Amino acid sequence: MSEPQLPRRTEVLRAHVRDAAAELRDAGMEIDRDPTAIDRWLHLPAAGIMRLSTIPVEYLDAPLRIGEHTYDLRSCLEHTVTIEELSYGDAGFMLACPGPLMSGVAVDALGDDKQRHAYYEQLSRPEATWTFFGLTEPAKGSAATELETALTPDGDGFRLSGAKRYVGNAAFARLGVVFCRRAPGPLGIEAVLVDTRDPGFRAELIPTVGMRGARISALTLDGVRIEREQVLGYDTLRPSRRGLVGAIRTLQRFRPVLAGTALGLTRAVLDHVRRERPALAGAARARLEDLRDRLEATRRQNYDIASAIDAGKVRSDRIAGVKTRAAELAERATLAAADLLGPASLLEDPWLDKLYRDARAFEFMEGTGHIQRLAVFQGVAKHTFLA
Amino acid sequence: MTTTDTTLPAPVLGWLETFAGELDDCHEQAAPGGTVPSPAGWTIASVRRLPAGTPVPGTSDTLAAVRDEPAGDRAAQVFGDALVRLHWRLLRDVLDGAVSRLDGRTSEGAPLLGRQLVRGTIADVALALSETRDLLGLPRPTAERRRRIHRDLVAAGRTALGLYGASSFAAEGPGRLLYAAELLGNTYLHAGEPEEGAGRE
Repeated sequence: MSEPQLPRRTEVLRAHVRDAAAELRDAGMEIDRDPTAIDRWLHLPAAGIMRLSTIPVEYLDAPLRIGEHTYDLRSCLEHTVTIEELSYGDAGFMLACPGPLMSGVAVDALGDDKQRHAYYEQLSRPEATWTFFGLTEPAKGSAATELETALTPDGDGFRLSGAKRYVGNAAFARLGVVFCRRAPGPLGIEAVLVDTRDPGFRAELIPTVGMRGARISALTLDGVRIEREQVLGYDTLRPSRRGLVGAIRTLQRFRPVLAGTALGLTRAVLDHVRRERPALAGAARARLEDLRDRLEATRRQNYDIASAIDAGKVRSDRIAGVKTRAAELAERATLAAADLLGPASLLEDPWLDKLYRDARAFEFMEGTGHIQRLAVFQGVAKHTFLA
Repeated sequence: MTTTDTTLPAPVLGWLETFAGELDDCHEQAAPGGTVPSPAGWTIASVRRLPAGTPVPGTSDTLAAVRDEPAGDRAAQVFGDALVRLHWRLLRDVLDGAVSRLDGRTSEGAPLLGRQLVRGTIADVALALSETRDLLGLPRPTAERRRRIHRDLVAAGRTALGLYGASSFAAEGPGRLLYAAELLGNTYLHAGEPEEGAGRE
């Protein structure tokens, strides 16, 4: 399969990350058995890349430098390529790593200078810091306009009460962004930075069928004290530019990254089939080639969309479309691999079994297929999706 | 405070144990008092029926697997039919559970069950169940037909899980049982090694 062309500095980054991803599979298998095992693998270069990704260079003593280039991965394309390569090594390992991930994008979108400084100062310290992005609720899913977690005035600050579910890494995090409701209506939504050591915060791991490195968690917020300065953009942004806008921006910026995760896993499983069955012929070979074509086409589309985001062109219909295609391709590729690798392959091949279970996660991460299809429909109605 | 306990709730273990018992019933129909190995030489049954077996991953020690000589054609056919019917019943339960769950959830003040996209998805799964039930009722079942029915049930199962959102991926959700059914089909109903040709790579 030919590699999609990328700008020179991104090609250099891809080669570097690809090397770092080559050693992740043993760690990924261990994390699948025990999600806390990431603590034993933090010395790997891949964990270092994740820990620093999207932290501005000015906060880092030793940013990622490769040859003449310096990277902070705040470019959506560079972030997407990095995540795809690490997910080729192991998506669960990548998701289990410390670092800003989605919470950083939310802080960037909404936080004032002081809030951003405090957040990045914390994340750039030598000790590993995990973060989380708390949007989804037990009764309402990820429908941001309907969330019920309440931010109630309390003296000169607030109290935060409610519950969140399906939140990656929350049971291990030190910091996180929680979306909540201060008042009725879409303008009443806020995003607050939460320190998980504060009284009233509780998180527990939710056992999952796969992708255990994501360390999906449930949160209970029982009157957690929130100071005004923890409400992102409270003193600098109008209510119409705060909470909901941050949630939407974060999801849009992150969907190509998530698509990259699915595409990295898809590449991994198709390469696994080719290694294990190098002489496939007839219909089996045609099936594999069809999947590889679809993979290459979706990768190109994803890179185009990430590049457009970097250029300030955020097209929610196309973002939704590529996320859906990538998630569905990962499932199709793992189902095909279980066929092509022969009878009892799921029982006999633990790596295949892991990818097969992991691939199901993408359907619901950052918006289900139903939600994405609605965005695609909007694009069709506005004549933008296929333009 | 944070906890990282990954123990499954008791009701979930109960579902898995019930499923393991129903799998044993499939063995009982085909080989009374015994078990039926797959064509590739694996037997999967409950840990009660295979106490010396290796635990099957993802089934919380309710299922076990052992290496064994492949079964005769007659036993394999009876077991295969029973296994596909077990998968069918499981998917039917998953669909019914999704309808109940969605009926109790609202979005923008209206039941989720009222949404056209949701209704269409439910209908797609129901149509697959209807067609596969008719296929299962045809005379002279064959291994190839069982494989096709299994493939259709897997596809419909993935569609049905979408109706549960993220909860389908939690170990306490329906995804775990459908995964077990998929693994059993991969072991017992697989068409065999794919076609290979020398010198193609």
